[in-house]
Amino acid sequence: MSTITKEFVKGLWDELPPFRVLLGLCPTLAVTSTAENGLGMGAAVIFVLTMSNLIISTIRKIIPPKVRIACFIVITASLVVTVELLMQAYAYPLYQKLGIFVPLIVVNCLILGRAEAFASKNGVIPSIADALGMGIGFTLSLTFLGAMREMLGNGTVFGTPVMWESFQPASFMVMAPGAFVGLGLILAGMNAFNRYLSRKKGEKEPVSQNSTCASCGACNSCGQ
Amino acid sequence: MREILHMLVVLSVICASSGALLVNLKQATKPQIEQQVLTYVQGPALLSVLEDRDNDPIAERAELNGVTVFPAMRDGKLVGVAVEAFAPGYSGDIGVMVGFDVNEDTLLGIGITTQTETPGLGTRIMKPSFTGQFVGHDLEDMGLKSGDGDIDGISGATYSAAGTVDAVAKAIKIYEDIKPKLETVWKAS
Amino acid sequence: MEYFLLFISAIFINNIVLVQYLGACPFMGTSKSTDVALGMGGAVIFVTLMATAITWPLHQYVLIPYGIEYLQTIAFILVIASLVQFVEMFLKKAVPPLYKSLGLFLPLITTNCAVMGVAIMVQRNGYSFFKSMMYGLASGIGFLIALVIISAIRERLDISPVPRVFKGVPIALIMAGIMSLTFFAFQGMAA
Repeated sequence: MSTITKEFVKGLWDELPPFRVLLGLCPTLAVTSTAENGLGMGAAVIFVLTMSNLIISTIRKIIPPKVRIACFIVITASLVVTVELLMQAYAYPLYQKLGIFVPLIVVNCLILGRAEAFASKNGVIPSIADALGMGIGFTLSLTFLGAMREMLGNGTVFGTPVMWESFQPASFMVMAPGAFVGLGLILAGMNAFNRYLSRKKGEKEPVSQNSTCASCGACNSCGQ
Repeated sequence: MREILHMLVVLSVICASSGALLVNLKQATKPQIEQQVLTYVQGPALLSVLEDRDNDPIAERAELNGVTVFPAMRDGKLVGVAVEAFAPGYSGDIGVMVGFDVNEDTLLGIGITTQTETPGLGTRIMKPSFTGQFVGHDLEDMGLKSGDGDIDGISGATYSAAGTVDAVAKAIKIYEDIKPKLETVWKAS
Repeated sequence: MEYFLLFISAIFINNIVLVQYLGACPFMGTSKSTDVALGMGGAVIFVTLMATAITWPLHQYVLIPYGIEYLQTIAFILVIASLVQFVEMFLKKAVPPLYKSLGLFLPLITTNCAVMGVAIMVQRNGYSFFKSMMYGLASGIGFLIALVIISAIRERLDISPVPRVFKGVPIALIMAGIMSLTFFAFQGMAA
């Protein structure tokens, strides 16, 4: 497998955010009350992540190491404002639904984390592959969680009814408690699946490797 | 020294270029954003108060005395207008879109556009049982029954109801001010 | 009375983590032990207050008069990031004991959406300066309370028999869900 494919694929499973690497939890919990919101948030994150990785990997050689975090923040924040303006102009209902979480993309550790851990050290093409992989993985995860919560909490997926007639929606699933419980169940499911995979291969059991935000690149680097 | 200069130059260049990009983008998206805000924020309330029409009130809006006025036309004749007014409620301003029948000088109805009232209490101002009282109301006696008017308040949401009524009263004032000018902008019946 | 209600509502009814989902990353990341949770909570209260005190005038007296509210995101994140750096340097020099207890957590706060979230929220809700400060303080306290409770639960969970696939973060998230459900009960009390 070529390096570029590898960088792309790792975001889809091995380092899948936010299920394998716990980055960007706030939007994950907050906007996944429906599949549609999850998808919209994911699309915004793909845009910001790809553009920031592209720009940062292009100019990485001229950024002075001491002020690199400041540079990353300015670039990411400008991109987030761009997304805000474009969303207001062309997808206003989505902008209303995502609300405060659109500007908060700027503090999503996923973006600063990738900028610091990958784009500032690699060339343009691998950085884009990395961003697209991570972004698409994030979008799929959010859409999946959103679809699950919408289905259990409202009986619909993308607004279409999918459950049987007499189904009583558990409306707590679309509220805050459902977000936490839903994510917890998915993480446990991922752990179980990984254990099954490695047992089948005859390897010894992996330690569950959910790292947290404290281990994300940007947080550590700020402390230096 | 060289290093500090380098840092300053790079940071300034990045900030300047992102600033330039954003200013241009803001200018480019401004009309589109205004259109979207009108459609999705004022739109639902507006269309509900100007039901009997065959035009697009948002596209045909006009500024009169510094207030945006939305016309309702039927068969090419002006039948109603809507204006938005604000008044303080329990927490923050309540925005109310008020529709007027230009022939009868009565209210066509009201719709709440923006509010930050207490959920479950103050938000009852949006219920039809409250807003319905304004349909067909004339331009006089706009006030709560506890004051000098004839609108039933909401128990437990006195301030929210009073704020709504204040906003409607302001809208009536605006309507009376702009009424003489309406015929010059849109052909009246 | 109004301020009291706002205060109570920001702590319990609209708890910043459990009801509004802000600051979920540090909520999961720094809740492994109660000591760490206390330190992080304290740092968040401190920085939220400082950030609100700076961003409020910035928004009202610079961004609005010049008609550049759309730059809010960029202005606020720069203020918060430099504020955190500045506070860190200041504490290191001036109040070493406080730096010892909070210093470790300060860098984590730049990417904590609770701080930024409060700064943006008070603008969207149109609060006055004093009300904004109250809201910032109450949100910080709400964060501290939620964080300390969950860290105490997690300390117990570590020594409890938990199914292996649930160990660590998954069970903590489910506990957070149950806590969030509990906090939802406060909503009935307000109405």
